[in-house]
Amino acid sequence: MKQLVAIFVITWLAFGSAAAALVTDLSNKRIEIRYSFDGADLILFGAVGSSAVDPVNDDFDVVIVVRGPETETVVRQKKKVGPIWINADSLSFPAAPGYYAVAASRPLAEIASDAAFGSYGIGFDHLPLLARTERGLAAPEPAFRSALFRLQASKDLYRQERDQVVHVGEGLFKTDIRLPASVPVGEFLVETFIFKNGSIVARNRIPLAVDKEGFERAAYDFAHNYPFWYGITAVIVALSAGWLAGVLGKK
Amino acid sequence: MPLYLPIAELSMNIFLVIGMGAVVGFLSGMFGVGGGFLMTPLLIFTGVPPAVAVATESNEITAASVSGALAHWRRQGVDVKMGIVLIAGGAVGSFIGAQVFTYLRSLGQVDLMISLAYVLFLGSVGGLMFLESVRAIVRNRKGILPAPKPREDRHKAWIHALPFKMRFRKSRLYISALLPLGIGMFVGVLAAIMGVGGGFVMVPAMIYLLGMPTNVVVGTSLFQIIFVTALTTIFHSVNTQTVDIFLAVLLLFGAVIGAQIGARMGLRLKAEQLRALLALMVLLVCFKMGFDLVVEPTELFSVGDAGAH
Repeated sequence: MKQLVAIFVITWLAFGSAAAALVTDLSNKRIEIRYSFDGADLILFGAVGSSAVDPVNDDFDVVIVVRGPETETVVRQKKKVGPIWINADSLSFPAAPGYYAVAASRPLAEIASDAAFGSYGIGFDHLPLLARTERGLAAPEPAFRSALFRLQASKDLYRQERDQVVHVGEGLFKTDIRLPASVPVGEFLVETFIFKNGSIVARNRIPLAVDKEGFERAAYDFAHNYPFWYGITAVIVALSAGWLAGVLGKK
Repeated sequence: MPLYLPIAELSMNIFLVIGMGAVVGFLSGMFGVGGGFLMTPLLIFTGVPPAVAVATESNEITAASVSGALAHWRRQGVDVKMGIVLIAGGAVGSFIGAQVFTYLRSLGQVDLMISLAYVLFLGSVGGLMFLESVRAIVRNRKGILPAPKPREDRHKAWIHALPFKMRFRKSRLYISALLPLGIGMFVGVLAAIMGVGGGFVMVPAMIYLLGMPTNVVVGTSLFQIIFVTALTTIFHSVNTQTVDIFLAVLLLFGAVIGAQIGARMGLRLKAEQLRALLALMVLLVCFKMGFDLVVEPTELFSVGDAGAH
């Protein structure tokens, strides 16, 4: 697969059309979660053509943003009530990405100004994120917003300034995308931005799918679509396993 | 070796899971207890979401109780009529417990409820058990034998005053059905919210409150536990989809091996020494849970999904 991508990229470089300034591809566009799944590493390849920048003579920067499926996520804050600490306040983010990673060829601050990233909505500080409040959707309280990023980053689900985009040369670049074992399933988007002199000159997006497969998929679907029968099955499995254990234990 | 658990949606080391099953199985084999009160906290401490830990442990307890119940059944050690009344109460209690569990989960308070339930019940049961066993050890040292109570005085006056009396031949009892119904219901609630079988509450209640003869107590309680934890498993499957069969089977696998070794170790110790050790272990889990509630957490924030929708 990697070789295929490389051949594709090289061919494209040789016969590249002026219309498409940027192409990217992933070493694997479909991640399958099976019993041995412990996270996954993918490689993203990309190349810029001469219409956007002259890859041989111009310096350019690459920022790659990978975004997972959006789900309702609740952040809770503990407070001391009497002698014990309990969850007191909570804030719900109806559409927080389940995975969010920013990889760049240099530290973000060197690529463009904070204001530029703000206008593109790139990075932990700029990702558009709304919270559910009494007055409808509104900008979240900063403490809860930063807690969301801190906690998700500690689980490797949100990543920034940790993955490097490497210039291979001749306009070709690559980066590793790291998905942890707890990655949510669903449709992902991989967006690539080419920066020159602090602003975007080219961008593209490609999809990435993460899904449970085979037995894992079947078990999950069974538990969620037929929960009553799943429960019955769990009981039957337990009764027979317990009986079997008793028989074996005697010997 | 990592193993992805499709329902819990996390990856765990398969040897860690089997090892935890074995350690808890060892202790439960040694002390003759179910082990749910050790397993559920242990799963939570290793990062399994509390809802998954409780629901999955219900499933494992069903399995772990089968062989014991069968052995007691063959020895005529099960009072089926008493068991059915206890199960009827347990079914109601388990249903209520599962509803409360689901509701609190949506509020983000299920962890708190689990911790509080553990501190309260393990604290009181462990404390009483410890005092009782220490007293027994001291008595044995001094060579004093407690005078056995006459059978007629087993029940307090208010128990005889309850209506709906029923005859339980095997237990040689004529008492109100409300009493075992109430005990069963209480145990059912505990099963659903704590991920335990509830033997640690039911067995003392059967001996001291109902006055059942000891030869049918353990068999009848295991009989009730099988049915009530099975129901609890179904309720949790339907309400929150948090029962992970694979995790349960792996834990059982470890527990079966551990229990064999534990049972052999247990024979070397005296009954009241075993009870004192068990009480200490119960109190240890209780203190750990209580400590985590009282001490200021290093991270005040936590992130979770929206819970039950």
